[in-house]
Amino acid sequence: MTASICAASDTRKNAEHTVVVAITSHSVFESRDGDDVFGAGLAFPLLQALQRVNEQLLEGNPDESLLFDVVLVTTDRKQQQQRSLIMSSTTHHGLDVSRFCFSCEEDFVESLQTNAVDLFLSTDRKELLQASEQGVVSALLETHSASPPLEQLRILFCGDFLIQPDAGLKLAGAQSAKGFLSRLGEVRRRFSVQDSPLSITVLTSRGGRESCGSAICVLRSFGINADEAYCLAGAPRAPILNVLQPHFIFMSFDG
Amino acid sequence: MSQNNGQCLTVGGPGLTENGSNRGIAWEDHEKLSTPTRRPKSPQPGNAITIAVSSRVLFNMEKEQQIFEQQGMEEYIKYQVEHETEPFSPGPAFSFVKALEAVNAQLRELYPSSEELFDVVLITNNHAYVGLRLINTINHHQLFIERFCMTGGNSPIGYMKAYHTNLYLSADAAKVREALEEGIAAATMFTTGKLKEVSETQLRVAFDGDAVLFSDESERIYKAHGLDKFFEHEKAHENKPLDHGPLKGFLEVLGKLQKKFYDKGQRMDCPIRTYLVTARSAASSGTRALKTLRSWGLEIDEALFLAGAPKGPMLEKIRPHIFFDDQMFHVEGAAEMGTVACHVPYGIAQRGTKSGAKIKETSCGPKLEISGPGQNILSETKK
Repeated sequence: MTASICAASDTRKNAEHTVVVAITSHSVFESRDGDDVFGAGLAFPLLQALQRVNEQLLEGNPDESLLFDVVLVTTDRKQQQQRSLIMSSTTHHGLDVSRFCFSCEEDFVESLQTNAVDLFLSTDRKELLQASEQGVVSALLETHSASPPLEQLRILFCGDFLIQPDAGLKLAGAQSAKGFLSRLGEVRRRFSVQDSPLSITVLTSRGGRESCGSAICVLRSFGINADEAYCLAGAPRAPILNVLQPHFIFMSFDG
Repeated sequence: MSQNNGQCLTVGGPGLTENGSNRGIAWEDHEKLSTPTRRPKSPQPGNAITIAVSSRVLFNMEKEQQIFEQQGMEEYIKYQVEHETEPFSPGPAFSFVKALEAVNAQLRELYPSSEELFDVVLITNNHAYVGLRLINTINHHQLFIERFCMTGGNSPIGYMKAYHTNLYLSADAAKVREALEEGIAAATMFTTGKLKEVSETQLRVAFDGDAVLFSDESERIYKAHGLDKFFEHEKAHENKPLDHGPLKGFLEVLGKLQKKFYDKGQRMDCPIRTYLVTARSAASSGTRALKTLRSWGLEIDEALFLAGAPKGPMLEKIRPHIFFDDQMFHVEGAAEMGTVACHVPYGIAQRGTKSGAKIKETSCGPKLEISGPGQNILSETKK
């Protein structure tokens, strides 16, 4: 078994205050036959949006240390063995990536942990379940390739991530995400209510208005004031998600 | 931006605000309360008749609106959060929404498993910061609104389409126009003075004819060639149905619900009643209007042909929960006499008109629709 290897790029940020976001390489890149670099994958718009937030954070304060720090992680052997291709593709596309973690299925979660990853993003729910079960805050990468990419980083919290029904006030995946959530709240507060490069949305699928109210409250208790809130009360999600166009979604990955 | 670390949410339920107290309870105490009575499930948007209302027409937010306009967004939000547990008082659309719920209650009794009901959705440009106060207010007034979209400044149009919205009511004329352009029936509502009492058991909806139920084709003739030519034209084309207007679809869905009551023997005391209140005259131009409705297979309960007389007095007798007209002159006239009148900004009547100075057509809420389409903030004179 090949041990995971992590490599730092030249753009490593000040480790202490950053929000480390690990994204799977299979969602960032797409193989292109006959090409010697990977093509842009589904997560490109997200990377651009993260970059834009960083740019505006630095515009506000050139010494800003609370920045998004992007790490690319491989989660299978096949990609793990394409190390140099991944690194050269990253350079080719001018992506702002500070680290690479070349792991495989068995140890990618471990490498997320050792690298103090604050948030893990993937399009693969199995990977996300695995990571979240082991305490790594994870969110589903959403892809809306049909629409033009949005300038604003859009983050969605589903009700089932924030509240556990029938468990009173007991919080769901949110509890383990405490640290990350308060940092995210800090980032959001660097910007005003209007014209922010990031937007945080709450969406409850089931339950009535009070469940959405509770979800808003839970986020608030972690230091995040949601920008948008949608209470579907049983209405179908897909049409609303199409309008919302989140880059990634916090949800329960069980069941 | 200060955070509200204390009280977060009140819980609706019987007996909570018995003494008229406005203080909500802290979210932390939520668990200790008994579960409120089980509310019926919301119908699927595809089956229901979806009425989207904005926060400023459902509730009275005049004071807050003023704070927003004079002191800006941050102060507005701060104020809203500070007053989170204080419910808003009813706005112009409130009695209409209550009447919709009364109809629903009667429909549920007759057809317990049907989802053909009114579904009232709150669609607001407000940020989720204001969300808790809105939820608390809905709880306080015991409204049955379970669905909402707080778009934080983004255009509401996409969401309305996703919810198959049948009617959109807003205080923001620009958004109403946008909705009309997308084929959604919509009208601008205004906050006015004292409103006359309306029925709590029978929903009454009144419509103007031209440029509301019908297209504005005849109005164009009247404007271009005068009254005589208008009469001539209408007589000559009596048997040719007029084209449909933006509110025809809404009348149609009301008719479908009416039929459900008729099928259960409730024709005489139907909980829904519709009215046509038109400047056309019974003797001449009115015929074409009636024939058009008939050709569409639509019924209207009462047709009032005013032959140009002011609509206010007639509406005051009818006491509709809502009246739709394309001309501000009539909207104002109705409002002056205590009718909830709303403006359908459609057709030839909108060209070159200056929206009424009497009614405070407040400019749109949070001025952040930078991401939305062109913002025409109508700066009206304040009272």
